[in-house]
Amino acid sequence: MKSHISIQDVNAFYGDHQALRNITVEIPQKQVTAIIGPSGCGKSTLLKCLNRLIDLTDGASVSGKIIVDGINVLNGSIDVTDVRRKMGLLPQKPNPLPMSIYDNIAYGPKLHGKPGKKEMDEIVEKYLKISGLWEEVKDRLKSPANKLSIGQQQRLCLARGLAVEPDIILCDEPTSALDPVSSQHIEQQLLKLKTNYTIVIVTHNIHQAMRLADYVIHLYLGELVEHGHANEVFENPKEERTRAYINGTFSIDLKIDSEANLKGKMCPFNFVYAKQALHNLEDGKILKIIVDDPTAVTEVPRGMEADGHKVLIVKEINKTDWEIVIQK
Amino acid sequence: MNIRKLKDAFAGRLMLAAALFSSLIVLLMAIILYLRSRPILEVKTLNDLLLGSIWMPFQGKFGFYPFIMGTLYVTLLAMVIAVPLSILSSIYLAEYAHENVRTKVLPVIDLLAGIPPVVYGVWGVLAVVPAISYIAPVIGNLGIPFLTVKGYSTGYSLLAGGIVLAIMVFPIIISISEQVLRAVPFDIKEASLSLGATRWQTIKHAVIRIAYPGIAAAIILGFSRAIGETMAVLMVVGNVPNIPSSVFDSAYPLTALIANNYGEMMSIPLYDSALLLAALILMLVILFFTVAARLILIRIERSMAYG
Repeated sequence: MKSHISIQDVNAFYGDHQALRNITVEIPQKQVTAIIGPSGCGKSTLLKCLNRLIDLTDGASVSGKIIVDGINVLNGSIDVTDVRRKMGLLPQKPNPLPMSIYDNIAYGPKLHGKPGKKEMDEIVEKYLKISGLWEEVKDRLKSPANKLSIGQQQRLCLARGLAVEPDIILCDEPTSALDPVSSQHIEQQLLKLKTNYTIVIVTHNIHQAMRLADYVIHLYLGELVEHGHANEVFENPKEERTRAYINGTFSIDLKIDSEANLKGKMCPFNFVYAKQALHNLEDGKILKIIVDDPTAVTEVPRGMEADGHKVLIVKEINKTDWEIVIQK
Repeated sequence: MNIRKLKDAFAGRLMLAAALFSSLIVLLMAIILYLRSRPILEVKTLNDLLLGSIWMPFQGKFGFYPFIMGTLYVTLLAMVIAVPLSILSSIYLAEYAHENVRTKVLPVIDLLAGIPPVVYGVWGVLAVVPAISYIAPVIGNLGIPFLTVKGYSTGYSLLAGGIVLAIMVFPIIISISEQVLRAVPFDIKEASLSLGATRWQTIKHAVIRIAYPGIAAAIILGFSRAIGETMAVLMVVGNVPNIPSSVFDSAYPLTALIANNYGEMMSIPLYDSALLLAALILMLVILFFTVAARLILIRIERSMAYG
């Protein structure tokens, strides 16, 4: 396994909140690396550190080293446009630029030099073909990009990212806004692309990680829990938390001994109630709580672990509610 | 229950009446201005009035051409100065400035909008006019078109009016453009930056494209403010009814004509009617530009949506 991106001792803060804690991991070249973990665990933050888009967040600071091709990306004095150019980004929600399909693809190459009209036509055609969109749009290249379907827009974003000739493709939950057919389409394109590109994909969809990933990194509350080859991590995780996360997502029959609905309770009351509920259980028994306070999602598990309990699952059930499963 | 319903119905009607009242006033003003200026329109042809350049009320000569041009020139000059400066500053404030700078600078700019026009006028007389009379001989002899000086310049000039007006429209254009620029979705910036664009490339090619209609609307608002401004302009612009050929010449905008003369020498035949015609012309000029700007804006928005 040849390493392409070397992440060394990276810490990231949003103000006082620490989003990443001492992350050290290697990302292999020309393979698909999936970063998995529950929402709010720092997956996207790690991705944003790679292409320095984290600079755009007010109050964010990062320490450590991320070495790509011998250059430390986090070094303040490097040319950040070169770094970003090396890494195509496929966002969570397709974000076509307010221009035509053609101009969306041509945007990147134009920034980095002025190819002639004929050359540009070839570039546009080449990358639309790679992203599997060419056949659908070849007759309407001049029509606005935002008139495409969401799935098509996402493939357009992929083509646009590839047109600046990166070595790495970063995907931030690239299919979470798409319908199943479009998602499948994107996944297929990514599998084809891995022969030429190093792909890093953030996903909270375990099935997707299993389908795509060669290498897996599991983050939990900003810490690196486990990393390794996909089949090892998925079939035989070394860490209990990884096992719980994978199982939890599968909803394999975890025997819940007690449940508490703590919706509408703010921090720290939800924590207090959860402790009370836990107090009534015997050791080893499992408690499931439902919370809707965003702070609780990170703070309750952290508090529980500090108290010596084991947090098995932190899962988003719907837009507002989260499920936290704790073993006493 | 019934009282609640009654109140609801009453509130609806009341608000309808208020809305109708304010839009009717515009119509009412136009009608009255027209009726009062009819005496002069019956005696003189529209051609004589609009294109005649001699203003001698005692001899019954009422040519509005110098005043119309004065209004247009001084407004145009103000916009030429104000638009680039205020758009650049709004881009700086929205995209480059640190949060601390923005939160301190924006209130100061808003404060600028609250200063009464007469204060701008006094400041113009004390600071801008002497400065212009000082630089006029230097620049005026270079022979640049529109920047020549015939004889000498007192400083009371088109340029003084343009500068003072420009400063008055700054806050309008800056604060609206800044809001429009900040409303551009973060996604778009992220898309552009992740392709390796610099901040300036992102602004130039992506952000401005989205903010364009909003910025255009800000400019239109600034224009309307500038074209109708009276007090500050009449204090610095010189008020000589000729057609300015250089920014160092004096001018006499319609607003200043009305404000300076209405209520005096009303015994001169047709004078009162002529001044009210000036008001009507001013109103129509503003209406024309506002409607034209709206139409252009709609076209821009449509072409953005499809292209």
